[in-house]
Amino acid sequence: MEPVNLRWAGYVGAIFGTAFVTASLAPFHEQINSTTVALAFLLVVLFVALFWGSRPALLASVLGVFCLNFFFLPPLYTLSIAHPQNWVALTAFFTTALAVGQLSARAKRRAEEAEEGRREIERLYQELQAVFERASQAEALRQSERLKSALLDAVTHDLRTPLTSIKASITTLLDEVRGRSQEEQLVTLDSESRLEMMEVIDEESDRLNRFIGGLIELARIEAGELRLSRRWGTVDEIISTALARAEPFKEGREVEVDIETELPVVSVDERAVSEVVYTLVDNAAKYSAVGTSIRISAQRADDGMIMMAVEDKGDGIAVDLRERVFDKFFRATRDGDISTHQPSGTGMGLAIAKGIVEAHGGKIWIDSGAGGRGTRVVFTLPIGDEEITEQPEHAAHVDY
Amino acid sequence: MNDKPRILVVDDEPQLTRVLRTGLKSRGYDVRVAADGLAGFETFSDWHPELVITDLAMPNMDGLELCRRLRTISQVPIIILSAKGEEKIKVEALDIGADDFVTKPFGIDELLARVRASLRRASSRNSNETTQTALELGDFHVDLESRNVTVRGREIRLTPKEFDLLIYFINHSGKVLTHHTLLAAVWGGDYVEQDQYLRVFVGNLRKKLETNPASPRYILTEPWVGYRFSPNE
Repeated sequence: MEPVNLRWAGYVGAIFGTAFVTASLAPFHEQINSTTVALAFLLVVLFVALFWGSRPALLASVLGVFCLNFFFLPPLYTLSIAHPQNWVALTAFFTTALAVGQLSARAKRRAEEAEEGRREIERLYQELQAVFERASQAEALRQSERLKSALLDAVTHDLRTPLTSIKASITTLLDEVRGRSQEEQLVTLDSESRLEMMEVIDEESDRLNRFIGGLIELARIEAGELRLSRRWGTVDEIISTALARAEPFKEGREVEVDIETELPVVSVDERAVSEVVYTLVDNAAKYSAVGTSIRISAQRADDGMIMMAVEDKGDGIAVDLRERVFDKFFRATRDGDISTHQPSGTGMGLAIAKGIVEAHGGKIWIDSGAGGRGTRVVFTLPIGDEEITEQPEHAAHVDY
Repeated sequence: MNDKPRILVVDDEPQLTRVLRTGLKSRGYDVRVAADGLAGFETFSDWHPELVITDLAMPNMDGLELCRRLRTISQVPIIILSAKGEEKIKVEALDIGADDFVTKPFGIDELLARVRASLRRASSRNSNETTQTALELGDFHVDLESRNVTVRGREIRLTPKEFDLLIYFINHSGKVLTHHTLLAAVWGGDYVEQDQYLRVFVGNLRKKLETNPASPRYILTEPWVGYRFSPNE
């Protein structure tokens, strides 16, 4: 519906338009014929209909008939008509004016409706877009909240588990020291048990410390603050440093090392890369049976890279978990149904290894071992060039 | 064969099983450990321990499934080692039939107290197998035939549902009872979601039994889980 003041403007427009045409043409009524005058009034009707709609156009038509008759059709200044043909002309004018008024008003209304429809669609589209945007933002927020709470659960679990062993050991020792007896049950610890409790406390404190160390390392990698001290070194050296550290964890597993002859020296952060090898050997030992062998290999790859791999003869990792094991706190043993009786790790080793390898500009991934059995973790490292070695404190930025 | 109470500890953390083995042995228990639910179930079948202590999250077969399987073959008391954040799964385990829980990290004394209570409950359950006409427990004396209840020597009047609830509490004294378990046992399976029934009846029972219903000492609330009845033995 049109607003009221707009309709009034239409009626006023109809009156003024008709008055204007009348005033302009009346002085010349002898020179111009009535058809011209009728067309001029028709124009007024047309404009009024286009601008203000059908009702003001109806008024313009009625006024047009009145003015045409009164001012232009003889006898002038009366409402009577002398010639019957002028009756026909007047009726034709009125009918035409009505039709023009209604048609053009309808066309205008249609145009307006179409425009309104377009605007409505646009508005709905914008609303829909806003709703989608809000929904996807909310979903992203929920996802990130879920992730955060999963990470928090993992961290608290890893902190609480060693704490539980420590607390249970300490309270057992305390009860004995305080000479407490409960009901008829006497607290008796032989020296072997006492030693075992203390060993557990010692080992679990180390485990807590390792976990916290890992957290700090991960935080550094994620913040892009891992600083690599690149130096030229040999792959032999890196592997033997890692193996020396991993010695206590090998527990009867044979380690074969196969390094390609004439492998060039590489410009890497030896400490960091040795950490990667250590993590992989440690994992291989965890997830394979005692008495099986672990194979470390190093060879030249394309594009100025070397490729290293650590392979075990364990149960292997399902294909769909091979990327996820590099996510921080993901554990195949807990989250991926892989069974082992070995203590599980911190869930950070592979995430840190990935961070270190990528900071060097290399890649890390998991394949099946030889014959489709076991796990083979492969990583590449650029051999390096003089330019890089000139900046030993090259800051690496790892994007996650 | 010795007469030490046999306890099976099931946990995938070798350090914790080492500690619990030593801690429990030093208190005169005979202890065996298993690293996952499957191994635990096998040990149980061979060894018939008098109590099982189990972790919830484990590879192969988790604690929940172990409880479920054990309940199909035995009424052995089960204590769960749970962590904060595992409330939902803990309640599920209690619903399945676990008797009690200890939240990590715990002191050995806390665990031992739960072990003793569970063993005591189990042995009194075994000796009560014969048909009884009266229940005598702590401050409570209940005549099952006349349905008379006496607390601290004073007779109290209970509605039939309050009486049923109290009898269930007395028969499972010391054990953590989830809302679900209590509703199913006293009201029936259709009412297991109607926590408000339980709250109203526990509130009424407390008013009639407790000296100070605002700080109850018989019907204790286990937050987010349910109730534990302590007859003040």
